[in-house]
Amino acid sequence: MQSNAALEYDYSVAKLFTITAILFGFVGMLIGTLIAAQLAFPELNYLLGEYGTFSRLRPLHTNVVIYGFTVSGVFATFYYLAQRVLKVSMAESKFIMFIGKLQFVLYMILAVSMVVTLLLGITANKEYAQMEWPLDLLTVVVWVLWGVAMFGLIGMRREKALYISMWYFIACFLGVAMLYLFNNMEVPTALVAGVGSMMHSVSMYAGTNDALVQWWWGHNAVAFVFTVPIIAMIYYFLPKESGQAVYSYKLSLLSFWGLMFVYLWAGSHHLLWSTVPDWMQTMGSVFSVVLILPSWGSAINMLLTMKGEWNQLTENPLIKFMVLASTFYMLSTLEGPIQAIKSVNAIAHFTDWIPGHVHDGVLGWVAFMIMAGIMHMAPRMYKRELYSKKLVEAQFWLQTTAVVLYFTSMWIAGITQGMMWRAVDEYGNLMYSFIDTVTVLHPYYAIRALSGVLYLTGFLMFAYNIYKTATAGRKLENEPQFRTPMA
Amino acid sequence: MDIRELQGYASFFMTIFLVVMLYGYIIYLYRSEKKGEKDYEKLGNIAIDDEIDSTPVNTSDSVSSEKKEQNK
Amino acid sequence: MFHWLEKNPFLFSVGVFIVIAFAGLIEILPNFAEAARPVVGLKPYTVLELAGKEVYKKDNCIACHSQLIRPFKAETDRYGQYSLSGEYAYDRPFLWGSKRTGPDLHRVGNYRTTDWHENHMWDPTSVVPGSIMPAYKHMFTNKADIETAYAEAVTVKTVFNTPYGDDIKPGREAWEAYKPKVIEEAKKIAADMKNQDVKDAVNRGEVPEIVALIAYLNRLK
Repeated sequence: MQSNAALEYDYSVAKLFTITAILFGFVGMLIGTLIAAQLAFPELNYLLGEYGTFSRLRPLHTNVVIYGFTVSGVFATFYYLAQRVLKVSMAESKFIMFIGKLQFVLYMILAVSMVVTLLLGITANKEYAQMEWPLDLLTVVVWVLWGVAMFGLIGMRREKALYISMWYFIACFLGVAMLYLFNNMEVPTALVAGVGSMMHSVSMYAGTNDALVQWWWGHNAVAFVFTVPIIAMIYYFLPKESGQAVYSYKLSLLSFWGLMFVYLWAGSHHLLWSTVPDWMQTMGSVFSVVLILPSWGSAINMLLTMKGEWNQLTENPLIKFMVLASTFYMLSTLEGPIQAIKSVNAIAHFTDWIPGHVHDGVLGWVAFMIMAGIMHMAPRMYKRELYSKKLVEAQFWLQTTAVVLYFTSMWIAGITQGMMWRAVDEYGNLMYSFIDTVTVLHPYYAIRALSGVLYLTGFLMFAYNIYKTATAGRKLENEPQFRTPMA
Repeated sequence: MDIRELQGYASFFMTIFLVVMLYGYIIYLYRSEKKGEKDYEKLGNIAIDDEIDSTPVNTSDSVSSEKKEQNK
Repeated sequence: MFHWLEKNPFLFSVGVFIVIAFAGLIEILPNFAEAARPVVGLKPYTVLELAGKEVYKKDNCIACHSQLIRPFKAETDRYGQYSLSGEYAYDRPFLWGSKRTGPDLHRVGNYRTTDWHENHMWDPTSVVPGSIMPAYKHMFTNKADIETAYAEAVTVKTVFNTPYGDDIKPGREAWEAYKPKVIEEAKKIAADMKNQDVKDAVNRGEVPEIVALIAYLNRLK
């Protein structure tokens, strides 16, 4: 490979998305902490007038952390590691470089319009698919551009076998594309009626059908945004950081196909005891339990990768992040199926146990993995040492405490409320009025708000650390091979 | 036969089909490694050895290139 | 066969797509053939109610309130008859919600009045001591977008054959002709309210968000 001696990987697009991941991560978590505090202390609803109520901010929180923070993180790590596992540089093709940058610009326009429209209350009001139709169209463009960059890089690759991370990225691309298009089918009303707002549409589906399609999306957006690309990250970053190849490559291939096959069916577990046909509910329940297998297949594979190298866990804080991430992945993929059992769901559904479950996944698994990924990439992208190891350690313990506080308080809150709703006295009358079941949750809501503050503080430390790395870290002569150097 | 019945048959047989495929794949994975046609575990090194100028772990046709090396 | 799947990214993508599309094809698509049929006697939302539904969506009430009563005694005791699929036939989008920080609202029209809602939206703790729901005072001044609500009625009538009368049709003239009916309906709601500014606005031919929202909430039965 003489001709490539001067060739280097080009991280310009990865850097751009890293910055947006940190930016949106901060904004999204700040809003999340605020709305958590609003539930404990309702006076906080009036900070921003009409735009500051819990209800208006809640979709903003979910959209900014999912489509701002997580998706930026996915793009950033993709533009970093796809080059490396395919052994091809972005610099080799002006076309792909252009596509990558164009994707970034359109993505920024989209993200900003999303924030503005949601604040104004312009929403399609389907959870995790709130954006109105013009924004949906722009989303499709951004997504297609990503696909062009992905398959462009794959077309130029030197490494003929696709590494397992690339399998997962391809699945992420295809899965989201299919589900997004299907769920966001809507008719703009102004085009049909000739009057009214351009920013309004009605769903193609009504009632129960709409619910089915929506949760098919809601559930599988979790699959293809919070699971699949994050597994792609850990399959690259953990081996690379530790210098240990994946424990069993064959197991990773099998878990992949297992996950692809099973995950989709489980969508209807969001609609247990609702008006969708009974057999779909049962299918959702059964497949949710089966889903433990492929999920744990990946997670155990990751933990076994550290076999014989567990000393790194005490020495390298990034390994801590990643090992804890796969542990939380195991926890939430066990908790989810438990909640999908019909009798458990009867108590758990509509309570705070559900946000509790979501957050041990997203805070403990998704965000930990993205932050670990960025801390691994930063020294290589900026050719500087990571600014402070102490900060990373402190951040780790702060955020771990936060996650534990979050899910324990929400477990208690959820089960308390679920039991109180159905409690009856000796004559068979309901024991509690609804408001009783709300006021009792105050201490748990306060604990959750505290956990939000801790996690956000940890995130600020992370952001500061990356900023200082890029500007003031000690310069590196050579790219570090495995372990990320930190001062 | 109404649509519900069709759905039932379709889901049953498609599931069986995909399960058979999955197990077929497992057998394929182990058999091709046993025969020495492929080495899947080697692919794990793609993440470890990922410099732009390092030799690809797997070129277009691993079988023939490996055999060539063996013949040398 | 598997060899090709591993080596050819295109075939691989097709394989992934088949595996992930399969569940949806079998489980979801056939359901649309049996489009949700409305229960007997279900009427489409009036334009004012649609405008109220838009307010419900705009302020994202589903963040805390469900509209789905599950078939358990504890729920039917608290909220009334459990929900039926046909009751949602005109809901685009569905508004079941996924979290009950506040109570279910699917049949709130059975046990709450215009007056109660007016007090509650102005200051929730005045009628529910200990409530953590924010006050929505801006709904008393903001105007509901009844024109867009009308556009929605026209759209669902044209595209999805929702049974509206012949006076709902595309175009500005049709809308101008229809508008007084919406104001008339709003006046009936405002008559039961005590906020003078809201009454005055309705008499001027404007519809504050609160009026539309109450029309929608009263309709939920």
